[in-house]
Amino acid sequence: MSEQRVAAVRTDAVWKVFEHDGIAVEAVRDVTLEIAPGEFVVLAGPSGSGKTTLLNLLGGLTAPTRGAVWIDGRELTAMKERQRARLRLERVGFVFQAYNLLPVLTALENAEFSLLLRGVPPEERTRRVRALFERIGIGGLEDRRPSKLSGGQQQRVAVARAVVGEPALVLADEPTANLDSASSIALLDVMTTLNVELGTTFVFATHDQRLMERARRLIRLVDGGVESDTRRPPSTRA
Amino acid sequence: MRRARLLARLALRNVRRQTRRSILTASAMVLGVAVLVFSRALGDGAHEDWIDQGVRLGKGHIAVQHPRFQQSRHLDDRLTPRALAVAERALARPDIAKRVTAVAPRLEIQGLAYSATGAIPVFVTGVEPEIEAAFSKLGERVVEGRYLVDSDRLHAFVGQRLAERLDLEVGSRLVLTGQDATGEIAGQFVRVVGIFRTGLPEADEGIVHIPLRTAQEWLQVGGAVTTLAVLAVSGWDMPGVLEDLDAALAEDSSEVAALGWRQAMPELDAAIRIDDYGDYLFHIILFVIVGLAIVNTVLMSVLYRTREFGVLRALGLTKGETASVVFGEGLLLTAVSGLLGMVIGFAFTWIFFRNGLDYSGMLDNEFTISGILLEPVIVPIFRVVQVFQSLGSIVVIGVLASLYPAYRATRIDVAEAMKFEA
Repeated sequence: MSEQRVAAVRTDAVWKVFEHDGIAVEAVRDVTLEIAPGEFVVLAGPSGSGKTTLLNLLGGLTAPTRGAVWIDGRELTAMKERQRARLRLERVGFVFQAYNLLPVLTALENAEFSLLLRGVPPEERTRRVRALFERIGIGGLEDRRPSKLSGGQQQRVAVARAVVGEPALVLADEPTANLDSASSIALLDVMTTLNVELGTTFVFATHDQRLMERARRLIRLVDGGVESDTRRPPSTRA
Repeated sequence: MRRARLLARLALRNVRRQTRRSILTASAMVLGVAVLVFSRALGDGAHEDWIDQGVRLGKGHIAVQHPRFQQSRHLDDRLTPRALAVAERALARPDIAKRVTAVAPRLEIQGLAYSATGAIPVFVTGVEPEIEAAFSKLGERVVEGRYLVDSDRLHAFVGQRLAERLDLEVGSRLVLTGQDATGEIAGQFVRVVGIFRTGLPEADEGIVHIPLRTAQEWLQVGGAVTTLAVLAVSGWDMPGVLEDLDAALAEDSSEVAALGWRQAMPELDAAIRIDDYGDYLFHIILFVIVGLAIVNTVLMSVLYRTREFGVLRALGLTKGETASVVFGEGLLLTAVSGLLGMVIGFAFTWIFFRNGLDYSGMLDNEFTISGILLEPVIVPIFRVVQVFQSLGSIVVIGVLASLYPAYRATRIDVAEAMKFEA
């Protein structure tokens, strides 16, 4: 009997409705999708199409109005807040548009944050972060505070923070939006490499055409619903 | 444990991150605690002085009397020789005697003082001169002549206002009248040997000291006295001595009882309590202001860092852990600045330990409270309980001032926080 792979993330008829001045706004409408481990998925669509909200639903940062979400086979929507926090810590990595590194910690401390919370011993944490920093081209910057790093370097630290714990999936919201062209391409190379070499599952919300071109699965959203879901062969640029 | 260390590290670095704001807030706390420590030490010192002055001019820390004498002030309610013997035996008990400095027997009546010029109501006290000299210290306030000595017989020590009103001077004759033990009005001739001035009008006009033996013969009470005035080694130990003395006198409670100065001098007790309440109110207002400053700083820091707290939650911190970072920041800020305030407060107090704080320049006249003349110098008192009070205040302020900002940090919507622009 063949072993059935558990989806990295799965949604079933998920809705997210916000109330604004008594008016219901359907930010996400009846989205059902399944993302397998190792996929490199882009959520695309115009502003207001629900990309960020769907990403937040997938990461358990916000609760759906209706429907259910599973991460790594565990139903997020049935969990208590503490359990969701634990699941985020162990199975989900986040990369934000504005990097969102903790300014009082060094690059190394930021990157090892989730490992530390998970109780990984100091030597192991340092070894893993240093190796990752070398791999993504920011070796030697471990002791710098975020304010002493360029935007591209900060975003790489953020990527390192997201992937160092080997999560089931990494959710990235407009990760290249604040970067110049060269930094964006370099960052995309890093994430594509991590996806191919480490098998890390990436789900992006983006407007960036370069990122869409690298996607092996492109999900287009319009008015909160899935307009199209297309798969493509692996990129040759990785 | 690792988590706790990480959260503590975050809190510490966040406090250091806004150095100027932290220092400004901390200085309010430093000042608040320093003022608390100093004013507490000064207040305790002032109260000790009030009590000391009061008990010496009054009936001591403890007055051993007939149970009715406090109300009646009548010779019928004097200590009989038997009751006196019981009281003296109790005071001689080693566990009590070692905590007592002096015991002054007194025979007190209200009477009139006559001279050729007129008559004035006075409070006549028959005293053992040498014991009384050390006890009441009236002898230190002589302006003319001297205090009584044991060999004196028909002599009196009077206040300056009385001397002025009755036109008396050292060597002048004076007649004292009062109701004796038989109920008859009796007179006693005495000659002035000394005049004192306390600065307190009631005392300077109304107190007359005469030798105890003279008073006993004049009032026909034999060897009886109305009061044994007891001075404890320490005013703070008085309640314990009173309790032991009460127990020792319990069997003869119908004839003899011990009264603490709070009961014997209710006006002084009330004055100290009112002053204490005033101090407490002042400290509460002070700490509300300091607490609000800390709430403001920590809360501003929380609002300013909304996105950061959102990130912490997204990375896997629970609401409680996020709150503990904020709580830790508030507590750290309060603890460090509070301890510094304590050190400064005690250092400032120490400066005044030797010579006290002299506020005579602020007063035009003598300063009295509840019939007690106060020295215009307050010597602060250091007590271990002050350290615990200060530490307690720091903890209470720290906890109260950090709770609300910590609660606010738990209310942050993670998804919304990511949109927040600092």
